[in-house]
Amino acid sequence: MKRRNFIKSMMAVSAVAVTPVALMAKEEAKAKKKGPNDLTVEAAITAITGGKEVKKSDKIKLTVPEIAENGAVVPVKIEVDHPMEEANYVKAIHVLNTKNGNARCVDVMLTPANGKGYFATRVKLSSTQEVVALVELSDGTFIKAGKSVKVTIGGCG
Amino acid sequence: MAEARKSMIKIKPKKYKTGDIVKVDFIVIHPMDTGLIKDKKTGEIKPAHYIDNITFSFDGKPFTTMKVWETVSTNPYFSVNFKVPGKGKITVDYTDNTGEKNSKSKKLKPKD
Repeated sequence: MKRRNFIKSMMAVSAVAVTPVALMAKEEAKAKKKGPNDLTVEAAITAITGGKEVKKSDKIKLTVPEIAENGAVVPVKIEVDHPMEEANYVKAIHVLNTKNGNARCVDVMLTPANGKGYFATRVKLSSTQEVVALVELSDGTFIKAGKSVKVTIGGCG
Repeated sequence: MAEARKSMIKIKPKKYKTGDIVKVDFIVIHPMDTGLIKDKKTGEIKPAHYIDNITFSFDGKPFTTMKVWETVSTNPYFSVNFKVPGKGKITVDYTDNTGEKNSKSKKLKPKD
């Protein structure tokens, strides 16, 4: 019962959150407000890698919807085909975006105890743009993968 | 003192053994306000209010840490894997940009 009520209350809150955030994107675009955390994706990548070369890699399976019904809640799943052993593991997964004011979504620091290089979350996307998975391996190298998400705000199609 | 936040840790699958890799889902009720949106009623900008740091530990030992930004969805969801070392307790400690601290725990009971 407690669990059912919890899920109910969560859904009620999410329903309320949808409309204002859909309008938010339009408002934001008009106002072009600058947030204190604003950072471009290029600057974010440089800050994370220290300017090191980053190659695209098939080892990263990035799952995002092709079309997001609601830009306020875009599911992102990242799976890295790489060992998770003491001397060789996925050290960090950085979830970035290319058109929000702040290109950063989440920085996840993993350890071999995770068993797999996997992370999933839900992010806000202000408009059609790319979600980027920037992965750091324990040997200090970086790899990445990116996918475009079409964001339709309010209404169908 | 603020009310403790509602949150949930889900372990999937429900039945697992020591050595299995399970999925650990953490969901928490939190506005994740960016600080850029006006409150429709008051016309005032809603101040930034979002979870900024999360630590997942097992029996007190951290195994995953996260730096979270305001770009994450309201009532955020975070999912990672964890290799079950045995019986014990997973704890998720999290803070937000206002300094609010919270914690949620769940026991791991492998069916060995």
